[in-house]
Amino acid sequence: MEIDRIDERTPNQLRPLICSRNVLNRAHGSSSWSQGDTKVLAAVYGPKAGTKKNENPERACIEVIWKPKTGQSGKLEKEYEMILKRTLQSICILTINPNTTTSVIIQVVSDDGALLPCAINAACAALVDAGIPLKHLAVAVCCGLADSGDVMLDPTKLEEQKMKAFTYLVFPNSVFSVLPEGSLQVEGEPVENGIITSVTQGLMSVSFKFVQVEDYLHCIERGRAASAKMSAFLRRSLQSQLPSDTLKAG
Amino acid sequence: MAETRSDSPANFVDSSVVPGDVVLDISSMANQTIKLGSGLRQDCDAIVAMKAGKLRLTKPNKYWVESSQKRYVPCVEDSVLGIVVDSRSDNFLVDIKGPALAFLPVLAFEGGTRRNIPKFEVGTLLFVRIVKTNPSMNPEVSCTDASGKAAGFGPLKDGYMFECSTGLSRMLLSSPTCPVLEELGKKLSFETAVGLNGRVWVNAASPSTVIVVANALMNSESLSMVQQRIMVEKLLQNLKLSS
Repeated sequence: MEIDRIDERTPNQLRPLICSRNVLNRAHGSSSWSQGDTKVLAAVYGPKAGTKKNENPERACIEVIWKPKTGQSGKLEKEYEMILKRTLQSICILTINPNTTTSVIIQVVSDDGALLPCAINAACAALVDAGIPLKHLAVAVCCGLADSGDVMLDPTKLEEQKMKAFTYLVFPNSVFSVLPEGSLQVEGEPVENGIITSVTQGLMSVSFKFVQVEDYLHCIERGRAASAKMSAFLRRSLQSQLPSDTLKAG
Repeated sequence: MAETRSDSPANFVDSSVVPGDVVLDISSMANQTIKLGSGLRQDCDAIVAMKAGKLRLTKPNKYWVESSQKRYVPCVEDSVLGIVVDSRSDNFLVDIKGPALAFLPVLAFEGGTRRNIPKFEVGTLLFVRIVKTNPSMNPEVSCTDASGKAAGFGPLKDGYMFECSTGLSRMLLSSPTCPVLEELGKKLSFETAVGLNGRVWVNAASPSTVIVVANALMNSESLSMVQQRIMVEKLLQNLKLSS
């Protein structure tokens, strides 16, 4: 099925990705991530001593602040903060620095669709830049379902508005492993076949009834394939920038 | 999606890893002791990376991930620069750029007794040695070396302190001496204290020397050895022209 996307991409094609680390001088870790025209800046401060009142003092606490491009923070920003907090809590190793708080601040620079996945990617890169211990990386994609039933990846804002439904999916990254049978397995399946977060909006069919197409499962498949490419891009951009002739510590 | 290497685990050594990479499979190494440094953790039978950086190995069995951050993870026997934040009856609270404040016992000085407790104001810069670290407790530091002598630890007066990354601190403390310090030392006279927590203190007779040395050290992070020497030459030429 040929679909005409406004910027002439194929349905499975992502927009150009640009990622830079250590962009802010004072933040302990920072990164800027852009997918096409959507650009998000993430800064990480911490770990700092002390947790908030309701948090468990035996684990590290992650605090997310979302700053929109214009206007004041409202309910939508609070929802994004909550989703981001839960996602980052599942990739950080919280037992290493108990009773500390790590603050992640997201600043939206420009929004052209797929804002939350872009923010999740930026936050993950910023956490790596700050040296926060992580279990694995998180890669986020947005899949949209058009009226005709076709699945499109990484929609722009105009495409998002026309869609019947869309979903943000966050996958663990693909890992290099020395184990012969691949990476660590959880209940028989490799870890990277799992999903960390899924946020859906709109109407999508899942069931088998009436021989309907399982749109949501299609989205997951396409998203997983795209996440492999993004994973490779993230790995390249996280390569160390130190000169190769480093001196050994005495 | 996982790429597997059929060779021995030494394949990942000296290459970049990201969090989640399984770097070592210890189910095949029975009866061996492996030491894990920073950035690695054990997950059942596999060693997994927690930070992004280069995996290093010193023979025979010590593995760690080398990376450079702005914050510091306290390790025993490291010498760091701390700033006094508060003083209590039995210890000072010192900020060492780590997840928790460090405690400096009031008696942890050479010849320290209850009668001659030093009085440090808030903001005093101290060169201290880390004595104890535990995951959920505040680290403990001391102004003496292991045998109880002062050995250069204690408050640092005058001079100028700037912050840098932990990678730069390690480079400045590496042996043989790093090219920047060598070249500067040939022409200028100054003293430095490098803390492994990303703080460096410089002192010299005249302010212009302090500024030149501090700028040279700050700029040398991403330069190779040859580039460092060239940079220092240029800075010293500017200093001679203006003085």
